[in-house]
Amino acid sequence: MRAAAFGVLLLVPVAAFAQAKGDQALGEYLSAECVTCHQLSGKSVGAIPPIVGIDGESFTALMNAYRKKERENQVMQNISAKFSDEEIAALAAYFESVKPKP
Amino acid sequence: MSLHRRQFLGGAVAGATLLATPSIAHIRPRVVVVGGGPGGATAAKYVARETNGALDVILVEPSRQFTTCFHSNLYLGGFRTLQSITHGYDKLASTYGIRMNHQMAAGVDRAARQVVLADGSRLSYDRLILSPGIDLRYDSVAGWGQEHEEAMPHAWKAGPQTQLLKRRLDAVPDGGLVVMVAPPVPYRCPPGPYERVSMMAHVLKKAGKTKAKIVVLDPKERFSKQALFQEGWERLYPGMVEWLGPGVHSGIKGVDPRTNTVETGFETYKNAALVNVIPAQFAGKIARDAGLANASGYCPIDPATMRSMADPNIYVIGDASIAGDMPKSAFSANSQAKVAAMSVRGELLGARTFPARYTNTCWSLLDTDNTVKIGGRYEPGDGRIKEIEGFVSKIGESADIRKQTQAENMGWYDGIIADMFT
Repeated sequence: MRAAAFGVLLLVPVAAFAQAKGDQALGEYLSAECVTCHQLSGKSVGAIPPIVGIDGESFTALMNAYRKKERENQVMQNISAKFSDEEIAALAAYFESVKPKP
Repeated sequence: MSLHRRQFLGGAVAGATLLATPSIAHIRPRVVVVGGGPGGATAAKYVARETNGALDVILVEPSRQFTTCFHSNLYLGGFRTLQSITHGYDKLASTYGIRMNHQMAAGVDRAARQVVLADGSRLSYDRLILSPGIDLRYDSVAGWGQEHEEAMPHAWKAGPQTQLLKRRLDAVPDGGLVVMVAPPVPYRCPPGPYERVSMMAHVLKKAGKTKAKIVVLDPKERFSKQALFQEGWERLYPGMVEWLGPGVHSGIKGVDPRTNTVETGFETYKNAALVNVIPAQFAGKIARDAGLANASGYCPIDPATMRSMADPNIYVIGDASIAGDMPKSAFSANSQAKVAAMSVRGELLGARTFPARYTNTCWSLLDTDNTVKIGGRYEPGDGRIKEIEGFVSKIGESADIRKQTQAENMGWYDGIIADMFT
């Protein structure tokens, strides 16, 4: 397993690796803004979907879609507009690390 | 608790030789938070969480149960029970080790860095986070004072007043007159005055009392989401809501709670079935008494940290603060609490800090499955908290969007409650 993972890592270009690995501490701080609506437990109520445990790539794609206003929702467009690529990567890393509560 | 930490510290500073030196490692910095609303509850949690007890966090709040002002209009409208908007503090204590102190904070001794409690005891602090909310200015509407809040309820603090307003609203007869005296800016919102008007109209209409009328006497020429509300009222509750700005009513001269009369420069409204007086407001007494407010009655803060401009050891968050472009909402208080908590942890624990950012969204229910929203994001700028970009719902949106927005509103409610209390 370890050898396989190592092999994969070797194939990943350095820049992409750096971007995929966001700053979790920054992500945790920025996430404070998200968890006013999206529950940290993973519980979903009404029209607020769960975002914890979501894989980083999907998270980044969603945020970018809101940021470019390709996806509808005024709140999400407004919130995502301010985030840099680095900050979205940080948020992605953080939310990927959070385990939904059973 | 045996010896008080401040006694240790004070002793150590005043004369170290008098005390057998306690192990400094056992002295935890203490953060006292005053007020268990959206600002204070959030701040206490975010200061305490994941510190493994490195900070001693005390939340001072007289009530054991907190009824939220947000969604209290939905209770008025029959969309929620009071129980569903009432919450306890148990998990803040059990999950984060926050010590609850259920009494009123009577004052702040800034020189001694102590909060004085109602029973006269004192809590020393290294940092104090004040989130006292607003007090009503009982002298702001002529003829109306605290002794009249039963006759003419304000329902601006959720709980018994909200229940009273609902009972009175439910008893309004068909053809009856409801008068709302709306507040001047700045005011706590939620409960939003204009969402409240919508809910009043909804209740009357649902009961078949479409000849009842709601007159809103406003000291302001305009209000938030005005076009959305007025378009909604005309379409959903035709002929039932009349909003009058000062240009039309020529000033609210006063009220008479004995006869349920409201007098303006233009007309006298007699024998109203219900008068809802929402007076002017200012920062909670403890913040004003501590000398943290300016002439406006609210507290200037550093927009980068929410620290009081008057005292480096005190943070003021929520409705009591002068938060620039941010409204006095629960969402704002929750957002400000996180910035203050980060700054406190940075100072006391050396934790990483990041540039302050704030957000707010306010949802307003117009009618069943018909909700509008307004919001924005904010950053420190030009010496205040400045709006960077905002948004607001549009007139003529589809029913689907409005219904989706209400589902968002309900999801947000559960979200912020989880964020505050669990």
